[in-house]
Amino acid sequence: MNGLGDAGMRRRTMLAVFAASMLLSAAPVSAQDVSGDLVLLDWASGSEQEMIKALEDGFTKAYPNVHFKEINLTVQGDARGAIRAALQSGEKADLFINTWPAFRKELADAGLLRDLTSLWDSAKIGDNLSDSWKALGTTDGKLYGITYTYGDRSGMFYKTATMKKSGIDAQPKTWDEFVANFKKLNDAGITPIAIGAKYWSHAEWFESLYEHLNGVEKAADLAAHKIPWTDDSVKNTLRKFAEMLKAGCCGTAESMLANDWDTASDMVFVQGTAGYQIIGMWNNDRARNVDKLKEGEDYSLQQFPAMGAGHDDVSSVDSKEFSAFTDSANPAAADAFLAWVTTADAANIVARAGLASPSNKVDPSLYGPVMRIAAGAVSSSKVQFVLGDLLPGDLVDEYRVQLQKFLQDPSDATIDSVTQAIEAKAATFD
Amino acid sequence: MIGKSPRWIPYFTWLLAIVWVIPLVGIVVTSIRPESDTILGWWRLDHVELTLRAWFEVWGKYKLAEGFWVTLELAGVATLGTMILTPAAAYAFQFLRFPFRRTLLVIIINAFVLPAQVVVIPLFTLWRQMGLIDNVLAVLIPYVGLSFAWSIYLVKNFLEDFPRELVEASRIDGCGAIRSFLYVVLPNSLSPIFAVGILQFLFCWNSLLIPLLFMRTQLPLPVVFAQISGMYDANWDLRAVAAIVTTSVPLLVFLIFQRQFAGGSVATSGSKE
Amino acid sequence: MSEVALRGSEGSNSRVVGGAPQRTALRRWIADAPAAYLLLLPVLILFGFAVLYPLVQTIVLSLWDIKGLGKPKFIGLGNFVALVQDANFRQAATTTLLWTLCTTAISVGAGWGIALLCALAPRQTLVPRVIIFAAFGVSEAVIGYVWLQVYRGDTAGLLNAILSGAGLGNLAHAWLGDAKTAIWCLIAAYSWAQTGLPLLVIFAATQAISRNVLEAAYVDGATPMNMMRHIIAPLSMPGVRVALFINLLGSLRAFDTIYVLTGGGPVRSTETIGYFMFRESFTQFKLGYGAAATLILLAAVLIVSIPAILQRTKSTT
Repeated sequence: MNGLGDAGMRRRTMLAVFAASMLLSAAPVSAQDVSGDLVLLDWASGSEQEMIKALEDGFTKAYPNVHFKEINLTVQGDARGAIRAALQSGEKADLFINTWPAFRKELADAGLLRDLTSLWDSAKIGDNLSDSWKALGTTDGKLYGITYTYGDRSGMFYKTATMKKSGIDAQPKTWDEFVANFKKLNDAGITPIAIGAKYWSHAEWFESLYEHLNGVEKAADLAAHKIPWTDDSVKNTLRKFAEMLKAGCCGTAESMLANDWDTASDMVFVQGTAGYQIIGMWNNDRARNVDKLKEGEDYSLQQFPAMGAGHDDVSSVDSKEFSAFTDSANPAAADAFLAWVTTADAANIVARAGLASPSNKVDPSLYGPVMRIAAGAVSSSKVQFVLGDLLPGDLVDEYRVQLQKFLQDPSDATIDSVTQAIEAKAATFD
Repeated sequence: MIGKSPRWIPYFTWLLAIVWVIPLVGIVVTSIRPESDTILGWWRLDHVELTLRAWFEVWGKYKLAEGFWVTLELAGVATLGTMILTPAAAYAFQFLRFPFRRTLLVIIINAFVLPAQVVVIPLFTLWRQMGLIDNVLAVLIPYVGLSFAWSIYLVKNFLEDFPRELVEASRIDGCGAIRSFLYVVLPNSLSPIFAVGILQFLFCWNSLLIPLLFMRTQLPLPVVFAQISGMYDANWDLRAVAAIVTTSVPLLVFLIFQRQFAGGSVATSGSKE
Repeated sequence: MSEVALRGSEGSNSRVVGGAPQRTALRRWIADAPAAYLLLLPVLILFGFAVLYPLVQTIVLSLWDIKGLGKPKFIGLGNFVALVQDANFRQAATTTLLWTLCTTAISVGAGWGIALLCALAPRQTLVPRVIIFAAFGVSEAVIGYVWLQVYRGDTAGLLNAILSGAGLGNLAHAWLGDAKTAIWCLIAAYSWAQTGLPLLVIFAATQAISRNVLEAAYVDGATPMNMMRHIIAPLSMPGVRVALFINLLGSLRAFDTIYVLTGGGPVRSTETIGYFMFRESFTQFKLGYGAAATLILLAAVLIVSIPAILQRTKSTT
């Protein structure tokens, strides 16, 4: 891993950078024009880090005069702490990986991110990415991020052997079928749903329920606090959640609260003591690499069941995007990279790493069977970013903790107090 | 020990240690078994396969050797610094008279409450302004500076039971304050000094937050190992290797240093009691 | 008259003969100043950088409202007011009281007992001491992971597996998910790790005891157990004081163990002030709020510790 060793960074004033980037983004750049150092603020680790390296190598093949460099941040837990510290310390980079729309807003409001709207048009990124991805990378009307990978957060993982054992032949398509299956699972001694409520993954169920009952536009309004958390839409969702809990879906509250997503994943994939889990697509990697299961055969993905409220073509998603800093030494190369990352070459690198690429140009045959299901579901849905990465500041914490409280006692009284608490916190951000 | 110690003591402590060590045994076992076998618990015997794959992988994939020397350098220098400066300071607080003695002592000792995360952010800005990011000083200064809160307290506590008459006798005999320290107090205080040394080495060796933020190129082991646990990769077996490698050196230091105070070898034999 | 008095009192305990006791006292007070400051200079410089500067910055930060990378707003004492009204902070304070008292009592108590026993048989108890210290030497995050496997809710957890194996399967529990048991499991795990330090320090104290004293007692017919009770235990007090100090204040800063085992939950029931501070300052980047919390904590500790320190230092003047 390269560190930022030499003093090869030339610093320009903000004004000059603005002017330069305006000029450069207006004209198409050829592979020979673009040269110099390109610095990426990289906090990825593990197998994701390997994929980033592959992307860098792919880019340098297409643009041989560019030298890709990284500022490698080792992060613990939420990466934003370390990223903020690095930025405040004066670390200078051209590009940056972001997975939190809330963080994008924070940086954009502080003037740290470059507006990429004109780049979208000039580099014809719209040929490779649909407008829904453009919308996902937009904050306050300006485009700041080019999505390079996304995850389906409304897919339920399950193990085929478990389904067979409980006598479930066909995966449920509607909510009623889904809930009716709980009895079969419970009778076979299996907890229908594994929810890891220790930190954050219990929110997945709330969000998918909300979107299916109320639609993504309303979810977006809720996230932007245009409707209050005490709104009936929220309470109805929680009541539906309570119904699910009372139908015997998830075991005791203590067991949910004691588990993180990986323990829940083990329950589904390894121990076979649970039926379904909603979690991000990294679970796919875990199933293949750690649990050594065959994708599509030993386990598969079933999209969230239809609830019949008129909003069944929705998906909760997460994504990672590349953003460009305003104070950047090499905006030309940064732009070239941002445009390149949606092309077929880049998309296929992502796909080969077992992740989904939003690009139209990706070769879907590179996807495994589960990935194909997820990609297919998302491409035919209206999407909404997961609230955990979208809500501002510590509203996220309050939201997650209150949902924990709800799980401990899903009564109507709790629903009222929980929604009030979240609303009170949300109000402090207005 | 003088006289015959009860025979049950070694048995009892060994028993205690065996129970105590169970979670640690788990780390060792996790490092030599494939991750898929230990996912439900390292004690499971469903499928027993021993492999050194994790050990080789960690060595090849991560900058282990470099991290090792960097950590050794950082922890070593910081430990020396503390071991030299602390006794001098504790002696001054205990035996010398000077203005602000108690005020300074209160300030230094209460600094222990400040957690590293509070200290780190202001220091970050300061080091950036001074151009010290990615410089070993940026790490060494906090390592030593933060150690005084507990190390001075530790050594001073020992010195409280040090016979004052010895010190005063040496002063009467014409020793200056400093010579009295070097020739009378220091040689007879090796026990707490080495305790401080062991602890300081351990704290610096394991320190993660400070080098995480202040160092970019020369990364000590804890930072290298923080890179092992990816966001979504569990890598339990690799992490277990990391834990073993990281813990073994301070343990070695403990074994070496503790001889300095075990066996009752340091006795204040100079006083006529 | 005063000349003689001053010369006579230089470096000895003799009384001042007639006149100017104040001048002599002043002289005595600053007598060692040059030497003292020389010895203390490096310490003060490093301490100044590493502690005083951040402390001043913390005080400054606590007066501003900082949310992420946005523009800070000056709000004077607003953070402190908000903290006192913050139910989470108050809950964290009570949790911290329980946490600190229990982990310190258990770890120091156990460390003291084991150290005393080991003092009677230092060579034979080397390996047990190494093992118990090893638990202390492992980093906090690893402690968390290791105990996570012990407390895991279903039969994949070591504790539950042992209970089932011993026929007590009905006691198997989701230990970390139950607000009633989570904090105690955390306390057990943390104390397990923290015992190594009191053991080290108190054992070192016992080894510093003069052989003469022990020999004299032996000659007088004392058994090792008697020696332990009447000589070694009292003389190990310096070590005990240090262990109490370090473990007490150290427990206030515990973070990783709590984060890995419970994440402060369920529903914030295991969130201590140290965890609260880390979350606010680092994860949420509400630097002003976190700084204010730190200062409140510092004030609380100062109130307790200043009298204690002053009392001890009085005897040495």
